[in-house]
Amino acid sequence: MPGRRHEVVASLRAKIARIEQRPMLSEGAALSQRQEPAGLFSIPGGVLHEVFTDERRNGGAALGFALAQARGLIGPERPAVLFVQLRREAQDMGLPYGVGLRSFGLDPDALVLTRVESIVEFLWAIEEAVSCRAVAAVVADIAKAPGALDFTASRRLSLRAQAAGTSVFLTRYGVEREASAARLRWRVAPGPSGAVAFDARAPGGPRWRVELEKGRLPAERAGTEFLLDWSENGFVVVDSSSTDKASARPERAPSPRAVPAALGDRLPQAG
Amino acid sequence: MRLVAVDALAARAGLTVDQNLSDAKALVPNLEAREIDPGFLAHRFAEFADWHSYASPIVSVLADQAPWGDLCLDITGVAHLFGGEDKLLETVKGRLAALGLTVMGAIAPSIGAAWGLAHFDQDRVLGEDEVDEALGPLPVAALRLSEAQVAGLSQMGLKRVGQLYGRDRKALSARFGASLITRLDQALGHVEERLVPRLPLAERFAERRFAEPLGLIDDVLMTAQDLAIQLALRLEAEGLGAQSFHLFLYRVDHKVMRLSVNAARATRDAGHIARLFANRAERLVAEYDPGFGIDMIRLAATSVSDLASAQIGAFETADGAADLDQLYDRMTSRLGPLAVVRSKFVNTHIPERAVKLEPVVARTPDDPAAAPDGRLQRPLRLLPAPEPISVTAEVPDGPPAGMTWRRVGYRFVKASGPERIGAEWWQPDNELAVPAPPQLPEAPLSSRDEEVAGPAGFAAGGPVPSRDYYIAEDDGGRRFWLFRDGLYGDGAAPRWFLHGFFA
Repeated sequence: MPGRRHEVVASLRAKIARIEQRPMLSEGAALSQRQEPAGLFSIPGGVLHEVFTDERRNGGAALGFALAQARGLIGPERPAVLFVQLRREAQDMGLPYGVGLRSFGLDPDALVLTRVESIVEFLWAIEEAVSCRAVAAVVADIAKAPGALDFTASRRLSLRAQAAGTSVFLTRYGVEREASAARLRWRVAPGPSGAVAFDARAPGGPRWRVELEKGRLPAERAGTEFLLDWSENGFVVVDSSSTDKASARPERAPSPRAVPAALGDRLPQAG
Repeated sequence: MRLVAVDALAARAGLTVDQNLSDAKALVPNLEAREIDPGFLAHRFAEFADWHSYASPIVSVLADQAPWGDLCLDITGVAHLFGGEDKLLETVKGRLAALGLTVMGAIAPSIGAAWGLAHFDQDRVLGEDEVDEALGPLPVAALRLSEAQVAGLSQMGLKRVGQLYGRDRKALSARFGASLITRLDQALGHVEERLVPRLPLAERFAERRFAEPLGLIDDVLMTAQDLAIQLALRLEAEGLGAQSFHLFLYRVDHKVMRLSVNAARATRDAGHIARLFANRAERLVAEYDPGFGIDMIRLAATSVSDLASAQIGAFETADGAADLDQLYDRMTSRLGPLAVVRSKFVNTHIPERAVKLEPVVARTPDDPAAAPDGRLQRPLRLLPAPEPISVTAEVPDGPPAGMTWRRVGYRFVKASGPERIGAEWWQPDNELAVPAPPQLPEAPLSSRDEEVAGPAGFAAGGPVPSRDYYIAEDDGGRRFWLFRDGLYGDGAAPRWFLHGFFA
């Protein structure tokens, strides 16, 4: 029967994909078992991601993107996400804020911060956390490109992540790229946010311009550039044809007389 | 200036303790006298005393009589390890004498009796009921009395302890003080006296001695692993687990090094304990100094609690909590106690105080009233100390139109706010001062950084009544959380600060 054959082919494909450790050729939705609706970004665990952003002042966007993906990997058997950062970079880049995590949509109890003194301890902490099977993902934030993070180190991390099934997100800053064994490399930039109901001048929710520089997503979908919105249910892909336009509303400069805050809930006064 | 101690040669020459220095110099012309440094001596003696825990776990220094103290060991239950009490006394005295020290010692059922015998009739080993007759012929000074009491007693003709037996206790205490009776009772064993041990009292331990002293830390860790297995067996037999483990390294030159690790929950998993010590040792590699060698290693467990065997089986199930605890233990032992932290919510609306970072291994219960409101818009990253910026905004409470931060200019296209956060008037110290930045060494910046410079030094502001927070988005899509410290028109122009970044 054709239906049975189709099922058999699908399961064989899944098996081959697992053996080859590469994303399946057909829809990857069948492979993911998470509660989140299977979407474009349902990437299974055990992968080393590098999340690059051009400038250090985009730190919020990079961390947001990494945590958004990490949220999808949290489950009853893997309840924790670890964040690793050098102690001296805390004032430069900022620390994850518990109340902000709650409004972002991540349970603050799930995130554990690790603050280390040196790059050696940094790599050790990531390795140690990755080997634990109760950790869903490790988000490691490193502001300045360290010499110790070379191809060998990233290959080691990648192998350990694969063995344990724990993903690693390395958020890095700058335009230079070096050889690395990461399976996926993202380039993230913040995007001008969408409109908010009842307040035209208020910043909207998180929005990212994401480019996949290296690697392939499980879903068969053309294109490697996306404009992503973030909602409680996960990523929402804003139509890619409008990636060059910031949002549905035309971008406006602030009026010379800024609208007083008391009128912020009404339509803008300036023409 | 008086003599505090004399050695055997000086004693033969006729010098005694408490003699005047000038008299002594007259007696012996070429006398070598050194000034005593009581603090230093007491400290060295105490270190030395710690080393004696190889013989017994309860070692104490009785500091009330001699200038630097008397060494007292509680050998209950330990004597059989040395082949009997006589052999134990011989061993301890022998090791000390081998160092060139003059030792006087005795063993007795009570501390008082042992002290008296050690000072006045040494090398005796008393059984339970030999105390009365052994103490009888000793002078009254053997009872650890003060000088006045000893002088008073000898004036009355009571020169021997035996003369005090059977006297009217009330009369004696009225004349010489109640402490006389207490000391007598303590020496005879009628009143309990306890030692306060110097090192933490280990209820369960495993130890190993070496014929050849060890030096390398790897050997020490290997031994620690073996000892952990032994200790784990012992704890399992009693159905216990422990949360603190201490590794004592006894050096050949009479010093003790101590390495302690803590576990988040009671454990007796030998592999986990050994890994914790390995991680801790990695961190302390610079301070590890075995001297001339280590000849005994003891692994002790404190803070024991019941750990039923059924629970160990449960750790193998899909519940990852125990794995996580072990991970946090390992990371804390290598990185330090404050390195692995979680966010704990505090019931306050002041943003930098609303979250406290506490170590995961020392979790405290959450305050249900402090849970954050999901509707509040708060940034994903918060700067530990807000950075001063210069902002252009419309004067009374307009949102910011542009800012200069870290010497780069930004133009805002969107802004919302203000959200006013005032000082907490119900707290006694009503301050909403901007916190100062943590003191960190400046990391060298590479020349290819985008921002021209890091945060410059700035001082914390004085108390101001409120802050107005704005969320501002610039033309690149970056969203910032800024606040204005104070209100316009209050006097000095209020300052603006950058506090966090949104996703």
